[in-house]
Order: sequence, then structure tokens, then C-alpha cells
Amino acid sequence: MKDLVKKLTQTSSPSGRESEIRNIILDEVKDFIDGYEIDKLGNLIVWKKGRSDEKLLLDAHMDEIGVVATYIDDKGFIRIEPVGGISPYNLLGSTISFPNVKGIVGVEGETQEDLAKNIRELNFDKIFVDIGVGDKERAEELVPPGTFGVYDAPFIDLGERIVSKAMDDRIGCAIIIEVLKRSKPYHNLYATFSVQEEVGLVGASTVAFNIKPDMAIAVDVTSYSDTPKGNKRMSLILGKGPAIKIKDSASISDRRVVEKLRSIAEKNNIPYQIEVLLRGGTNAAVLQTTGEGIVSGTLSIPTRYVHSPHEMVDLKDVENAVRLLVLLVEGEEKLL
Amino acid sequence: MYIKELTEISGVSGYEKKVREFIKNKIKEKVEGIEEDGLGNLIAWKRGKNSKKLMICAHMDEVGFMVSNIEEDGKLSVIPLGGIDLRAVIGKKVLVGENEIPGIIGYKPVHLQRSDLLTPPSLNDIKIDIGATKRSEVEGKIKIGDFVAFAGNSMIHAEWFSGKALDNRGGCSLLIDLIEKNLDLAYTTYFVFSVQEELGLRGARVASERINPDFAFVIETTTSGDNPEFPEDRRSSELGKGPVITPVHSGYVNDERLFNWVLKIAKESNIPHQIKRRTVGGTDARAIAVSSGAPSLVISIPSRYIHSPLCVMNLSDYENTLKLLSILLVKEEER
Repeated sequence: MKDLVKKLTQTSSPSGRESEIRNIILDEVKDFIDGYEIDKLGNLIVWKKGRSDEKLLLDAHMDEIGVVATYIDDKGFIRIEPVGGISPYNLLGSTISFPNVKGIVGVEGETQEDLAKNIRELNFDKIFVDIGVGDKERAEELVPPGTFGVYDAPFIDLGERIVSKAMDDRIGCAIIIEVLKRSKPYHNLYATFSVQEEVGLVGASTVAFNIKPDMAIAVDVTSYSDTPKGNKRMSLILGKGPAIKIKDSASISDRRVVEKLRSIAEKNNIPYQIEVLLRGGTNAAVLQTTGEGIVSGTLSIPTRYVHSPHEMVDLKDVENAVRLLVLLVEGEEKLL
Repeated sequence: MYIKELTEISGVSGYEKKVREFIKNKIKEKVEGIEEDGLGNLIAWKRGKNSKKLMICAHMDEVGFMVSNIEEDGKLSVIPLGGIDLRAVIGKKVLVGENEIPGIIGYKPVHLQRSDLLTPPSLNDIKIDIGATKRSEVEGKIKIGDFVAFAGNSMIHAEWFSGKALDNRGGCSLLIDLIEKNLDLAYTTYFVFSVQEELGLRGARVASERINPDFAFVIETTTSGDNPEFPEDRRSSELGKGPVITPVHSGYVNDERLFNWVLKIAKESNIPHQIKRRTVGGTDARAIAVSSGAPSLVISIPSRYIHSPLCVMNLSDYENTLKLLSILLVKEEER
């Protein structure tokens, strides 16, 4: 599992530039599926036939947040803009990986006072990327304007806990890949690895339209409350099990999804937690409103420091999410 | 090029009828089919060599206001339709309602302001003055819900054009030109003149769901920001440097293959072009992606002062955008 997560998270594929991660995922699952399709937007849709007359859809988005190079000055410094919810504060002192070259993020400031002020009021106008090239021509060869980049941050193995960029949502991809590998589905299983979630749930908006599943579950990361001075208004603790989402700011999970997951977890002694997320959303929001409406919910992995270069998850939660979903897929009772 | 005529027409979001009628009259004999959908989008099509469907889309609407009340003293209070900087509209001439009754966007005179000069005006302070002194003089002429459009005042001077509503009559004019060129189209091409883009990409959503295109081009007039007060690296695009190709904007990353393909064609054809440097602001491209799942690319004419009563464009950018599109529409996309 660790190797799979490492491989997936260390791949560079920001929103709209998912071909690399799509190939890796397809390569991982191709021996375990009955068919696949890549739609017009680039979503990867795979399926495994079951014996029931119902269809279950599991979705994880395969894109990650990133930046786009927009302008290069005469000295070869690169200006960037965000792709998805990437904070300039998380870029401070970090490294960006472009397809041909890596770069260091710097901050403008003529004097110490300027620098301090710019850091206090940091935005994308105040930062630049330095790829160690002294002129515009060479820099434009390496990073032509319009080139996308992602955090350059390592996979860190802390034992039970693992850390990397792009856990959001490669951890969801890893969970679904494992479900595809380990399960003999009773229900017809569709897995969608969707594009452009981070810029506004783009890929998942249409991915389920032709599939018309009876139930859809987004597998994604969620927040945490268990750090010093963590948010007391919610409870999300690493290691206490995958979180069955009740609500976030984009959707309310269908009760049938919540109860189904909860009863499987209870019967099989799988730890789980219940999630009411104060802010954020997942693809469940657009799966739910597809076509005539789809019974949808989200299964989440509590994740610390989401959208930073170092997102931390607990492997126990990941394993338990896989167990829970395998039981759902194989369970010989009706979905609805 | 119909920029002059198109930017003289009133067509704020939700009130695109006059623009639609103008365009329909220009193109109806030159296309194979034309229809108007329930939301007011104008959709025309021509068959191509390949049966795949290309949608090329420009929105007809412009930003403006709507009359929200007729006050006791005969002044009109308004709500904005689309993103408007109120500082840019004070003292400007507008046309109100179907009958286009002229009015002025009134505000406190500078002589009577002190510290309020430092703060931008609030919508509560902005009233339209049509020269009436009491409500009864207005009633019968203007109704609550009437549109308020900037008055057209277009001008061509050497290679420069100025006028209102360039966003996006510039795009509409390009589409009409493309139809009139009677190109040997590569794909079956749907020319979509969409409504209510400025209020949230509403028209293109249903148009693309109806057409279900294989891919799309969204033709826009976009922000430049090449004012002297902006250093080069803070600009979004620059006038005179050719069509603007967007890699990513609010809510949608433009299709990678289309992006690379169009850049390649522009280079091969020696057409000046530029990459958009800012990502804020969305276009119909998002609506097309989330409603029909079709990939698209935004190609724009750069323009100064868009969303204000006077926008400025360089005619060479119009010509180069037209040249690029004329090549793209006859070529099979390389995948």
C-alpha cells in the first residue's frame, strides 16, 4: 500500500494536466477490470461486472493543486498564478516542479521592511519562481508560459503515518485501486478517476451522466481537528477510522449512503468516524445533481495540512476505508 | 467586421434581443440551419467534412444595470447586471428600456464632496437622471425591470477602436465574419451566440447540453491591463500583440491538446499571439465543460477598460484573431 501511495502521490499531475497520473492508474488496474473508457474531458472510467442488477460508482479525483507559469521577465524569473486552492503562504520557501526543471519560490522586497510587509500580505503578485537561469530566452525554453507546475515535496514514511504532496486525492485513488484489485463485486462496480476537481468539480460534473449509477460515493480527503488548538467545532481524528460524511459546504450525503456504510462498519467491527465538515466540498456535490439525481455521499480520509506540500494521513484509516468499500461492493444485499 | 454596429446596440444580460436580431439578419442566409433556444441563445450551424461537432461560442450580452425602482423625485435606482466598477460609470450616458430613453448616471458633484471623494460610490448613491422631477413623469415611459445600457459611442481612429460592450461584441463580430467567409469547415460547426454570460455563464450551459459538441472554442474579448501604471508582469495581456490564448481561468483548465495545437498553428502561420497571464474571471468554457463534458479553449481579443462605458481595442488584434480562427476552423485537430 505504501508503495502504491508513494507512486501515486509523487506523480506530477495538476488539474487539467492529468495524463501522467491517468496512465499510471490505468496501468495499476488494467488486469483487474472488465473495461475502461477515457471521456472527452479526460476522466478515466473503469468497470468490473457484478451479478446484481444495481450499479455502484466510486469516484476519486486524480488531479492535484498546482501553479501555472504566466510571465517570464528579462532575468529569467517566472511569475505564477494558482491552479486550484493553493495558498501563497504554502509556497513560501517551497520548491516547484515544472516538467523540465525545478524552481525555488522567492518573495519580492527591496528592504527588510518591504519583505516583512510582503510576507504579511502575501499574494501571487509578490512571489516569483527562480529556476536558476539568468535570461528570458533560456527560461522560456525550459518553462514556456502556460506550463503547469506542482509542489516538489517528498514522500515521507513515518510508520503508521505517511506524508506527501497530493494525498488530496491520490489517497482516494489508491483506495479505489485497492478495492478494484481485492474485490469480486456483487454489484456492478464503476470507478471514476476524475479530472479538474480542484478548480471546481469539473470532471465529475458529467462523468456519471451516462453510467446512471444507483449509488455514488466520492472518496476524498477531509480536514482534521486533532492538532494543537485544533478546531473544536468538529471532530476528525487521524487513525480513528475513515470518516462517513454527513455534510460539508457543498453537499449533504444521502442518508441511504450514510446508513449503508455505517451498518457495514458496525457489523464488521471496522472503526469509523462521522464527519460534519465546516468548510469544503467533494465531487459528491456534482454527482448528486447529475441527470435526474444520484444517491450520493462521501467517504473521507482525515488528512492534516491539506493543500500544503506535506499532507499527512494514517494508513490504518486508509486500510479500513478499503475494507469497508470491499464489503460494500461484495455485499449481497441491495444498495437501495 | 461589425464591431461598430454591434457596439452601438443595447443588449445587457437578459435583454439580448436587439443583438440577436442584428446577428440573425446578417447570418441567416449564410448558414444551413439557425434556431433560437428557450433561453435566447442563437445557434447556427454549417456542415463540415468531418461529422464531429465543433461549437464556437461568443456571448452577446454586455454588463449594464436594471431599473429596481422609480423614486418619488423621478430618479431611477438600479441594480448592476454583471461586474461593474461604479467609479467608472459616474456621469456617463445611458439608454433605458425598450424605447432607449436617454439618461445620465448622476452622482454628487465634486465641489460638494470632501472625504467621500476617497471612497468608491455605493449603489445607494447612484441614480439615473432622465430629466424627470417626479415619479408620475416617468411612469408610462419606464418600468421597474427595464434595462439600463451604456450608450454606444464607437469610434475608429487609425488602428484603434473604442466603444462600449466590446466584451463581447468583439467575439460576436468575429463569428459573423467567420460565417461570411464561407470557409471549407473541417467539422460540423455550431456558431453559438450565447446569453447571460456576465451573470454566470447561463446561456452556454444549455446551448452546449443541446449540441453536445466534441470540442469547443470560446471567443472572448478579455482584459489587457497594459496601462502605464501596471508593470509588465502584472498585466493580463497587451494590445497589439495578437490573440490571447488562455491556459487556465476561474473554474476550468483549458484543454491541453487544444492549447498546444492552437499555439503550434499560430507559430507555423506567423500569427502574433500571447498567453494570458492572469487567471481570475471565468468564461463560457466552464459552463461547456460541466454541462456537456466537452473540452474547450478560450481565444480572445485583448481590450483595455472592459466592463466600462468605453473599451479600447487595437484592430490588428481583431485581424490576427480572425486570421487564426479562419485557419483553425478548416483544419482537422491533431490529437
